[in-house]
Amino acid sequence: MAYSKSRYLVRRLQLDPSLIIVILLLAIVVISGFVLSDRFGTTRNFMNVLEQSSGLGFASIGQAMVVIVGGIDLSIGAVVTASTIFMAAIVDLHPGLMIPMIFGTLLFGAMIGFCNGYITIKTGVHPLIVTLGTASILNGSVLIYTLQPTGGVPYWFEEFAYGRIWNVPISGLVMLLCFALVWLFLRYFQAGRAFYAVGGNPEAARLSGIQSNRIILLAYSASGFFAALAGVYFVSRTGVGDPRIGDPITLASITPVIIGGLILGGGKGNVLGVLLGVILISLLSNLLNYMNISTFIQWVIQGVIIIIAVSVYVHKGKKL
Amino acid sequence: MIRLDGISKIFPGVKSLDNVTFESVAGEVHALLGENGAGKSTLIKTVSGAYIPDEGTIHFDGKKRKWNSPKEAKDAGIHIIYQELVLFHELSVAENIFIGKAPLTRFGTIDYKTMYERADEILDRLGHHINVQALVKSLSVADQQMVEIAKALVGETKLLVLDEPTAVISGREAELLFERIKLLRDEGVCIIYISHRLEEIFSIADRVTVLKDGQLVGTRSIEELDRDQLVGMMVGRELKDIFPPKRIPSLEAAPVLTVRNLCALPKVRDVSFDLHAGEILGIAGLVGAGRSEVAHAVFGSIPRSSGTVSLGSEDFNTPSPRASIDRGLGFLTEDRKEEGLMMLLDTSANISAPVLPEFTTATGLDRAHEIQVARDEIDRFRIAVPGPESGVSKLSGGNQQKVLFGRWTRACRRVLILDEPTRGIDVGAKVEIYEIIRQLADDGLGILLISSELPEIVGLCTRVLVMREGFVTGEVEGSRIVEETIMRYATAERESAALDVA
Repeated sequence: MAYSKSRYLVRRLQLDPSLIIVILLLAIVVISGFVLSDRFGTTRNFMNVLEQSSGLGFASIGQAMVVIVGGIDLSIGAVVTASTIFMAAIVDLHPGLMIPMIFGTLLFGAMIGFCNGYITIKTGVHPLIVTLGTASILNGSVLIYTLQPTGGVPYWFEEFAYGRIWNVPISGLVMLLCFALVWLFLRYFQAGRAFYAVGGNPEAARLSGIQSNRIILLAYSASGFFAALAGVYFVSRTGVGDPRIGDPITLASITPVIIGGLILGGGKGNVLGVLLGVILISLLSNLLNYMNISTFIQWVIQGVIIIIAVSVYVHKGKKL
Repeated sequence: MIRLDGISKIFPGVKSLDNVTFESVAGEVHALLGENGAGKSTLIKTVSGAYIPDEGTIHFDGKKRKWNSPKEAKDAGIHIIYQELVLFHELSVAENIFIGKAPLTRFGTIDYKTMYERADEILDRLGHHINVQALVKSLSVADQQMVEIAKALVGETKLLVLDEPTAVISGREAELLFERIKLLRDEGVCIIYISHRLEEIFSIADRVTVLKDGQLVGTRSIEELDRDQLVGMMVGRELKDIFPPKRIPSLEAAPVLTVRNLCALPKVRDVSFDLHAGEILGIAGLVGAGRSEVAHAVFGSIPRSSGTVSLGSEDFNTPSPRASIDRGLGFLTEDRKEEGLMMLLDTSANISAPVLPEFTTATGLDRAHEIQVARDEIDRFRIAVPGPESGVSKLSGGNQQKVLFGRWTRACRRVLILDEPTRGIDVGAKVEIYEIIRQLADDGLGILLISSELPEIVGLCTRVLVMREGFVTGEVEGSRIVEETIMRYATAERESAALDVA
């Protein structure tokens, strides 16, 4: 067939054509970066951005999976926080457990996610409320345990956050790998397909023999898992468990999901769009930092971008 | 009261109304009939000002009119009651009746006392008594419909349009509704009544106008017509051409599906039947008789209270949709939008959904195979869709239904349950689906056909179970399958029906 190469890529990756808006915004940010700052357009800076975006990236993958099945996870930030404390506190006491505790922490997160899913299914309470509840429980428990950053990990563990392979940050590579795996899973596996079926029409999915409850449990467990991975990343970056570090992550994790073309309510979207969203947000804040623009103004700009992106999706959706 | 002359309305690619002339006078109930897509709703939207006709003129109340918006038509005294009721469930009856028009006190607050009194007066005029302070959500659907009609009586309504009002209510409630409608007619209101149900046209309408493919077939006084003539006007062909020939299945082999004393309380009570390979077994009954629930209980999508189900010689008493599909059962559900299609997925994914394990290989889904299978089903059922990878949400009802036939014939090896397989699709697609059903039975599937359209049951089935209030009240076979017999069982008391069967 006579598809141009880029058209073919769009088909192949199943990108929503509306994502052109995100790519446009990315282009605007990159071009303005080159023009406005001489430090922005360097390989070194791009690699730094990739590294710094990892935490947000991990959190957003999990959020995206839950959103695709029609839910939302407001406990992601709290799971991030709890994971950092869980990991740093135990490793501080038993430094020999460093490597097993990476997996232990991921399991810890997945279990919390599993609980979110389980409560949602069994009670029928909206996941917004369930996850808000677990978030409050986790945050409260953490603050009972400590008000200060606490615990510690061996110095070498910062390699995960700061280490480079061929000059590419390890954390960034892991993030890209996670996006790739989740994309493959959602696109090429039976259970992945079921994510979209359950999110799009739970009743039709059930009557088609899809075991919706398992899919929902899987989505929330994955969300907890990735939130814990973000926690592991932050421990690697800061070397400690921090009782406040996850606070901004919950809402931040929703932004790339929305910019990436997923719809709250589920059934639609592509995690590669979410990756573009993560990169857009990270590059933007990087650029604005170079321009010495305050965080508060950055929030304003982010808000404008969200609204622009979503109005384009809504508009396109109507026209199609 | 209203006269439309030479109305045409053209949409891109379709002439939805083609030179239609329609007239209705004060004090009559004028039925508007036609298959889906015949142009009824376009005509109504023209009357109500939602559409501006491309050609033709409208006279209303003696004057030539041109509505620019629905509000203008409404202000002139035209009130439309749509099939989906637009009521606020958390507000009271009176608040709903006076929504946006509540009487005010001199302080500008809502004058509840006057509002309740006037709501009472309006309901009195309809001869229908409900507590005007009750919340709408506490009312039955029939009472809610009365609230809708009452809304029409707040202003001076000269023309009232009812769009399939009986679609959601039972027979007895419908009779009550007809009485109320006749009261309004006798007051001099002009009533346009849209329905699919021929029986009720004969009990309520004074005149009938039939549309087909956007064109006027004719307007007749109801006395001039009998049922068959009316059907002939609507479909433009003889009934016998619609249904494929029946074939009596061999009942000697063991049944493919055996149901004994099945209960799924409160909707299914003590239902027993056998279904043989190649047989089309109908389940008839009024809406709410428990027909769909029998299907759900067999398929395992609602819990069974008691009773046994066997497939062939194999007991099947740990039901779930997954287990049913694995045993060769298929269930094409009643509501294709809510329970059938996954609108955000493409055609191929909709077809493969129940049998995804078949497409799973060590490296994940075999997408190429999945697409090939979808292409086969698209060809087999002549589904008008651009390709296996295009979406299903924009397809016509008939094509959506064919996608579901593609899904379930793929998944199903023994028994296919069809719940209202032709609801809301046009007559051409219906004929195609009847042929598909016949073909599937000939291929050896046992088919359980649930339908509210009696001609469909009569035209396709070789045996029919009739249900009422959860019980099977009768079973008819062969030449006894006629609408009158089925209706008698569908409305019969259980005791008398049981005697009759004995």
